Amino acid sequence: MVWSNLGQDSFRFDSTGLGLVVRAIERERGVFGTRIDREGTRRVVAQHLLIRPRTAVKRSAASLIVVVSSMKLALLLFLVLVSNFLPSSLAAPSSSGDGYAITGRVKVEGMTSKGFGASSKLLNAKIILNGGQNVTFVRADGYFTFHNVPAGTHLIEVAALGYFFSPVRVDISARFPGKIQAALTENRKALHELILEPLREEQYYEIREPFSIMSFLKSPMGLMMGFMLSVIFVMPKLVENMDPEEIRRAQEEMRTNFLPRSS
Amino acid sequence: MGSSHLRPWTAMAIRARLGFVILLSLFFSATLSTALYEDQVGLADWHHKYIGKVKHAVFHTQKTGRKRVVVSTEENVVASLDLRTGFIFWRNVLGKNDHIDQVDIALGKYVVTLSSGGSILRAWNLPDGQMIWESTLPVSTLSKSSLYVLANMNVGKDNLILVFGGSSIHALSSMDGQIVWRKELSIDSLEIQQIFQPHDSDIINAVGFVGSSEFVVYQISYRTGEVMQQSKASFESGFCGEASLVFDNLVVALDASKSSLVSISFKNEVINFHQINLSDLVPDFSGKVTLLPLKFNGMLAIEIASSILLLRVKGANELEFVEKISHPFAFSDALPLSKEQQAFAILQHDESKIHFKVKSDNDLRNEILKETIQMDSQRGNIEKVFINNYIRTDRTHGFRFLVVMEDHSLLLIQQGEIVWSREDGLASIVDSTTSELPVEKEGVSVAEVEHNLFEWLKGHLLKLKGTLMLASPDEVAAIQAIRLKSSEKNKMTRDHNGFRKLIIVLTRAGKVLALHTGDGRVVWSVLLPALRRSETCGNPFALRVYQWQVPHHHAMHENPSVLVVGRCGHGFDAPGIFSIVDSYTGKVQNSLILEHSVSHIMPLPLTDSTEQRLHLIIDAKLQAHLYPKNSDSLKHFFNEMPNIYWYSVEVEKNKIKGYSLESKAELDTAEEYVFQAKELWSIIFPSESEKIAVTATRKMNEIVHTQAKVVADQDVMYKYVSKNILFVATVAPKAAGEIGSATPEEALLYAYLIDTVSGRILHRVCHQGAQGPVHAVVSENWVVYHYFNLRAHRYEMSVIEIYDQSRADNKDVWKLVLGKHNLTAPVSLYSRPDVMVKSQSYFFTHSVKSMAVTATAKGITSKQLLIGTIGDQVLALDKRFLDPRRSVNPTQSEKEEGIIPLTDSLPIVPQSYITHSLQVEGLRSMVTIPAKLESTTLVFSYGVDLFFTRIAPSRTYDSLTEDFSYALLLITIVVLVAAIFVTWALSEKKELKEKWR
Repeated sequence: MVWSNLGQDSFRFDSTGLGLVVRAIERERGVFGTRIDREGTRRVVAQHLLIRPRTAVKRSAASLIVVVSSMKLALLLFLVLVSNFLPSSLAAPSSSGDGYAITGRVKVEGMTSKGFGASSKLLNAKIILNGGQNVTFVRADGYFTFHNVPAGTHLIEVAALGYFFSPVRVDISARFPGKIQAALTENRKALHELILEPLREEQYYEIREPFSIMSFLKSPMGLMMGFMLSVIFVMPKLVENMDPEEIRRAQEEMRTNFLPRSS
Repeated sequence: MGSSHLRPWTAMAIRARLGFVILLSLFFSATLSTALYEDQVGLADWHHKYIGKVKHAVFHTQKTGRKRVVVSTEENVVASLDLRTGFIFWRNVLGKNDHIDQVDIALGKYVVTLSSGGSILRAWNLPDGQMIWESTLPVSTLSKSSLYVLANMNVGKDNLILVFGGSSIHALSSMDGQIVWRKELSIDSLEIQQIFQPHDSDIINAVGFVGSSEFVVYQISYRTGEVMQQSKASFESGFCGEASLVFDNLVVALDASKSSLVSISFKNEVINFHQINLSDLVPDFSGKVTLLPLKFNGMLAIEIASSILLLRVKGANELEFVEKISHPFAFSDALPLSKEQQAFAILQHDESKIHFKVKSDNDLRNEILKETIQMDSQRGNIEKVFINNYIRTDRTHGFRFLVVMEDHSLLLIQQGEIVWSREDGLASIVDSTTSELPVEKEGVSVAEVEHNLFEWLKGHLLKLKGTLMLASPDEVAAIQAIRLKSSEKNKMTRDHNGFRKLIIVLTRAGKVLALHTGDGRVVWSVLLPALRRSETCGNPFALRVYQWQVPHHHAMHENPSVLVVGRCGHGFDAPGIFSIVDSYTGKVQNSLILEHSVSHIMPLPLTDSTEQRLHLIIDAKLQAHLYPKNSDSLKHFFNEMPNIYWYSVEVEKNKIKGYSLESKAELDTAEEYVFQAKELWSIIFPSESEKIAVTATRKMNEIVHTQAKVVADQDVMYKYVSKNILFVATVAPKAAGEIGSATPEEALLYAYLIDTVSGRILHRVCHQGAQGPVHAVVSENWVVYHYFNLRAHRYEMSVIEIYDQSRADNKDVWKLVLGKHNLTAPVSLYSRPDVMVKSQSYFFTHSVKSMAVTATAKGITSKQLLIGTIGDQVLALDKRFLDPRRSVNPTQSEKEEGIIPLTDSLPIVPQSYITHSLQVEGLRSMVTIPAKLESTTLVFSYGVDLFFTRIAPSRTYDSLTEDFSYALLLITIVVLVAAIFVTWALSEKKELKEKWR
């Protein structure tokens, strides 16, 4: 839904036509509107270049870069944006050169945010960017970070034995640096924060059913025995119920059936 | 009337049929996956963990309870090994481009690794390998980066980790990886050589070269990174860049001509140069000198004319000759024994012996320790050594050596004995093949295999208890032990089912090993002499391994053998290496360096009279060389020569070319086995819009059982079964990179099916908005390929099935009888083959590392795709899920045929992971080997780890499963017999009663 709009809409600024700008802003609101209103954090950043110190990169930070040529437009944009809250996005431009940092968290039920013991199953969870371009590992608290990721649409996968994680599509906007959206690719569920939870636990083994009479009877041996017993006990009953004459006739008929008809 | 008479019989018949149907349905209603019970783990499969060739090792002996060593390897593995047994405590496999540069221990509890050319620094928890923090450093890729963990300044205080490379130094906190300070020494072309910290000071010294002639010393504050003092001086004859830190105030460097040493002493901003004359030390010195890295105070190691000199530095211009060492050898780094004393080890190889010497700086002329051990010659020369000490009970120093050998194996040597060894060359398998085991000779092992009947019954009763879930935990353990111990699977002879084989693998180190499929043990190993570094071949590397001789009918007394092909150097025109190894003993039968290069190797489906397989080697000049070189093979080859076609894929030039062979006009004896390639066709892909991403063909030895496929409503479709189908996938050049780099609009993927004899494109399909990486597998008449769909932003798998329409009319038997069929119609190369293509695409969740397809002996069993996922697991996916005839609502007849209703994505059933709860770390490839039993395929997957199992894609319909209970069968029979007698007695009684009546 949102994804398709993002890359294609062109944002054009005209120094004379104010109407166009407003329309562009409205469109921008339209795109993000639903999410923006739901988010609680009221953080607005509209400045020409935003560089956060490394320490601040860790969690999520919102940022928006608007580069405009005319001062008037900048002011207008700022005013419009002030009335807008941006959602706490999932990444921020990292201070170290080109690209952004994607920070997320892997969360597994029963794993506390700081617990060491419960996370033992996640000990060697690997996070894979774009099918192996970058590989990182989950820290003890479940967080992970990819540094120097260029703008574009990326894919994050979690490889953790025993759990099935959906790959996550992550869009880093080139026009609004630091603006990141994420969604699970398996069920197209949008993520407000990059918290990755397994869709299900994986059971790699068949579970042995406890012994029961039914399962024994269903086994080939049981069936064989059942069938034999039924032949032994039920068949005589069936034959018994018949008229002896009928049996004889039937037997005769059988005999004639097998004989060649030529006679 | 008549019908009513027959009722009981028909009813009986119906019942019998019903029973049969139930029975059948029970046999075949099994799920599509071949799942495993937890207690069956290890019965048919084995999993071996490796780490690869060790690059760095750091010992950790703080806690005496758990002695361990932390290593980093060439397979990008950082691992913690038990120093006593060599077992892996934990290991982490980094990404494939994330090469580890250095490893160290910080704070005594974190393992710090510097990787990706010095740009990523990670800390791992020493006890369990959990990542603690990760830091990315902006480092220029041009210069090499190094790691320096500062010694404990104050106990309990945060220590700094320094990463330096080029002209910048980063200091990071070892607690959380935050950059504490960063210093960009603003001088162009500065290369920092060393960083060191003089004892008990707050100052770090950094020494380096500017350009080629200036030497710089910086004194930098430990806390802030401020430059306290800076001094530089230039040396007129220049430096070559190699330098060795000898003392805290003395560096020895090589001058620009690499022929003499320069000692540089620096103290309080004064830098002095002294040229050292080597001819004083070495009387007949000439040529070039190499400085060897020896991190030992006051010592220097130089290499002159293939011998190594150990020199002691006494002062700024005074060197003393200590010892001369010849190749092959290894030095260890310095090991501090006490505050003043340090030691280092020299290992020297002398044929099959290794001499260990440990010297301390107190007395360089004599050794603290001198040991000699015998070394298996198949391990090659010694490559690296790491030294560690321990205090003996008599308070003297004992030493242990961690040794890396030429075959990448890792050994721990202590007190003149090998404590443990790891065959880590198996982490870098290049290629593999299989060999049958010898046939069991009669009267040899019958007696030892037979158990007595009582034992046998007892075992089966236990098993029965297990299957009925009545066994106690002790009994369960006993069952497991019986199963795992079963000597049957580890025997060294051929078995009836074809499960026992030898897997012959070729590793990157040039070692050939034979693994037993029963438990994966190494039966024999040989380090090929032809693939070792020598004077004639400076840089050999292993390419492939093929079956060379498989004795079948004619040469039964001979052992089978394999052919190992290598190349001398990395260029395509480097001469080839040929080695023939006996599959049973590992003896090298023949070994030679070829006169020509090796660019393609083609095993032909022909053998000579001694059952040696014919191989054609195509060299870089497009000449084909026939092997084995004997007149017999030539005779066989000439018969088939007009039928031999081959093709080459030139990825850089975006070209595929097809060739046939022609013999040379002038036949002199030397060139008898050389043939000329004749170009038949070529396909050139437009380089501005397409780039070859992947090609795939059918396996040479694949067997197709039926050419026809019976579809619903009794119709027949003929498979287009051709061994010459080549699948080619091309992607748009813009989208040839990684996933995030292209938009859906600029991405295109074309899939081609090409006949490699005629060069005809049979089919071409375009996937809009799709990009690589592409993985493909071709089998029978179908192709399955995996790629990324940018529009949906998911991975997709497509299947193409190709059917022969020209034979579609041959269904009518009458036509065949009356001769109205088209079987005798002329076939022309130029006529367009009448094919029909069906295809379908599905979403697939995971990234794929490798794909393969199961192979069975006769090709009857349905196929499964084996998918190596990004999580290093192997998923078996039934081919029925990738049937282009799947539809949303299959008709009744289609359902009966087994067509699964269409879903948009392929199901991932956790039980169908053939690796169950294991991971084949660093998975690279899967190999499928047919067993003799038609239902079963052997699967060998390798990467850093090895995993072997056998799978039955349609369940084992032709044999009883492992857990089949013979006891239950016996009991059933006994019960039935008893029932017969009882009923017989009863009927006798009844009859008697009847008669009395």
